[in-house]
Amino acid sequence: MSPRARIALLVLAGLVLLPGTGAVIAGLPPFGSTIAQYGERINAITPQVRHVANMVSAINFDLRGLDTLGEEFMLLAAITGTVVLLRGRRGEGNTERAMRRPGRAVIPRSDTVVLVCRIAGPLTALFGLYVVLHATVTPGGGFQGGVILASATLLIYLGEGYAGWRDTVRSHWLDAMEGGGALLFTLCGLAPMLTGAAFMQNVLPLGTFRDVFSGGLMLVENLGVALAVTGGFTQLFLEFMEETRAADEPDEPGEESA
Amino acid sequence: MTAFPAALLPLPVAIPLVVCAAMLATAHLLPGRLPDILATLTALSVAILCAVIAARAADSPLVYWFGGWEPRDGVHLGIGFSVDEASGWIAAFIGLLYALTFLFAWGFFDRTHGHFHILMLLFLAAMVGFCFTRDMFNLFVWFEVMSVAAFALTAYHLEESALAGAINFTVINSLAGFLMLGGIGLIYAQTGTLDFEGIAAAVARGGRDPVVAGAFCLAATALMIKGAIVPFQFWLADAHSVAPSPVSVIFSGSMVSLGLFGLAKVSAVVFAGSDQVQRTLPVLLIGMGSFTALLGGWMALLQRHLKRMLAFSTISHAGIMLTGIGALSAGGTGGMLIYVVGHGLVKGALFMIAGILLATRASIDEIALRGLGRGLGPAGIAMALAGLLLCGLPIGVLDQGTRLVQGALTQQGHGFAVAAGAIGAALTGAAVLRASGRIFLGLGPDPGDEAGAPSQDEREKANRPLWLMLAPCCVLLALDAGLPASLIEHGIPRAASAFMHRPAVGAFAEGPAWLPWASVAAALVGAGYGLFRKRLPAAVVRPVSVTQSAPTRALELLHSGLIGDYAAWLAVGVAAIAAVLTLV
Repeated sequence: MSPRARIALLVLAGLVLLPGTGAVIAGLPPFGSTIAQYGERINAITPQVRHVANMVSAINFDLRGLDTLGEEFMLLAAITGTVVLLRGRRGEGNTERAMRRPGRAVIPRSDTVVLVCRIAGPLTALFGLYVVLHATVTPGGGFQGGVILASATLLIYLGEGYAGWRDTVRSHWLDAMEGGGALLFTLCGLAPMLTGAAFMQNVLPLGTFRDVFSGGLMLVENLGVALAVTGGFTQLFLEFMEETRAADEPDEPGEESA
Repeated sequence: MTAFPAALLPLPVAIPLVVCAAMLATAHLLPGRLPDILATLTALSVAILCAVIAARAADSPLVYWFGGWEPRDGVHLGIGFSVDEASGWIAAFIGLLYALTFLFAWGFFDRTHGHFHILMLLFLAAMVGFCFTRDMFNLFVWFEVMSVAAFALTAYHLEESALAGAINFTVINSLAGFLMLGGIGLIYAQTGTLDFEGIAAAVARGGRDPVVAGAFCLAATALMIKGAIVPFQFWLADAHSVAPSPVSVIFSGSMVSLGLFGLAKVSAVVFAGSDQVQRTLPVLLIGMGSFTALLGGWMALLQRHLKRMLAFSTISHAGIMLTGIGALSAGGTGGMLIYVVGHGLVKGALFMIAGILLATRASIDEIALRGLGRGLGPAGIAMALAGLLLCGLPIGVLDQGTRLVQGALTQQGHGFAVAAGAIGAALTGAAVLRASGRIFLGLGPDPGDEAGAPSQDEREKANRPLWLMLAPCCVLLALDAGLPASLIEHGIPRAASAFMHRPAVGAFAEGPAWLPWASVAAALVGAGYGLFRKRLPAAVVRPVSVTQSAPTRALELLHSGLIGDYAAWLAVGVAAIAAVLTLV
């Protein structure tokens, strides 16, 4: 099909859809008018029955924890898939050592960059941990904190260079973190079943409302997610970084520095 | 606290997840064949658990509330699984298909430290979750996990064609995800709940409502994209033909039909109360299904790339399944559920044979393989048998499904759909029989230069003995042909009624007994025509080639492989569904 015919077809379909779309929009509840019964109900009961101030965490890790388990494994599937595809081309053998493109200059870092990264790196990691630990009190949680933790490892790369980064970050550890975190999350679901409760039922002590240690099982689940996300994202960075160093591709001058 | 049989419900999803997470954590430590063994055992245990659940769910569906969040005052707070007998057996069948696929692929995926088994186990967990859930958003989550795992599996070979097929698959199925999410957003905005039963009650209260119709339009489109219904079918042929054979077994055997399974469930349970939707369904599903059956069959007959041929045959059979749902009766849906299993068994076996040819003969091109299958006698017999079963040989599970679908359609006077289904099945059978005749018996004219396939050189690793690849394939065919018919006949009316949340009915009507034989005869004639065209008198050949060449060329042009075209057709499909919904 020529591009013009394709667009004509698309426009035609859009025209047919127009009246229906209009009817749907007109039929929806007006903007901001009501909160759905479901949401209202959750807002009403969660602080009492789960001692949790961050409603989003309560929904993600307790009421609808199974969805989050699915999402966690979706992330795992996406990362594993990316790793399989990228490594498949490069070969499994050389994941252990940093690859180096022959002919690409290794530009030394300026002292300022190294200093800033050495200060900012630990601080970023600390902030990531804070976001993970306060999942049930303030906005944030395992996913967000995990991504912040993973970006802290990137600051090592910025400050210490690629080889230094690869010396600190081991690919196998990342696999272990990613899989271990996901395993911990799933076991949080299965363990309550041993006591006769339902899958992922919050059987741990719930703690005090607005305290860091509130929410019971949600805290453990968040740790699992944080581990998995940190490991997964760092693994992703690592694979993409290796990809820019793939030996069999033609030289591309002017590409980013080492 | 949940009582015993219901307490099993989370396990078939949780066990593969635990195994795959543990495998990822220890990926580099696992010695050679351990991932194969672990994955096979996990899939087997899922199959057994699901079978136990299905047997226990015979009397009434089992319900499980995650996190102990049972509904309070009629408000569904958490996520529930609700498993009726049919859903349980479908999940058990999927587990078994995976176990046999892992056997078939023994050692095939050793390059990537078990990463492949991890993706396949995730794929399995998602499919079981998709079968069991009773929550709209949870359905979407499993739908997406399936897609994400499948994208990477498709591109495994990393050749240009594999990457192109995977990209088409990814884009179209991501669009399906967006549409589904949009549909869920609409239905949630209007009904304020995500639970199937909760939505159904709210929809039944609401009367004619454009928002409900819109939600149905989007969700049904998404599921039909997964189910490869024309005009959403384009991605399937591109993806299934390039994916590794073990993955194609899963794609064609379960993923595609699972989309239609979801459509059957959603339209029978969630939208049961909407008159508008229920009046649209027969027109829409039977129309689209018949068209899909014919187009898929015809395209299958045109292919010389074996896996692409099988992919189009899957499209054709998906169309037949859709007509079964469109009958809107327990008989039609019951027939469709049996068809899902029967088709999965036969198509899985066929893709395994394609894999055997790729591994032992290093080609997938029907013409290039002419006569090269002579050393693989059992595979040839299996392929011919599968071809006969595909076009309707009246033995086994697939035939039983066909009869029920035909019976339900005949009862309601949809003669056209019955004919379209029979012709579609005959065309796919003809394609497979022609290929098996050419490959294993060396029939047909000597191709000469034509043997040089236009497609890329394809081959798969030949690192396992022939018997190991043949055994799972034969088990699949034996299951299809050997499952006692009386067992299914006895169980299906009850199971189908429970699946549709309707009161139980008696025995189902069956289609005319001569129809399967007519299909088989047509398939044999078609295969014979394909093989011996050169020896037939010109008076027979000329009219056929004159009438079919123009539409054939048009069809081939449509399957351009360009993602923009596919997206445009997708939009046309959505518009068509919306138009039918507003006009009815």
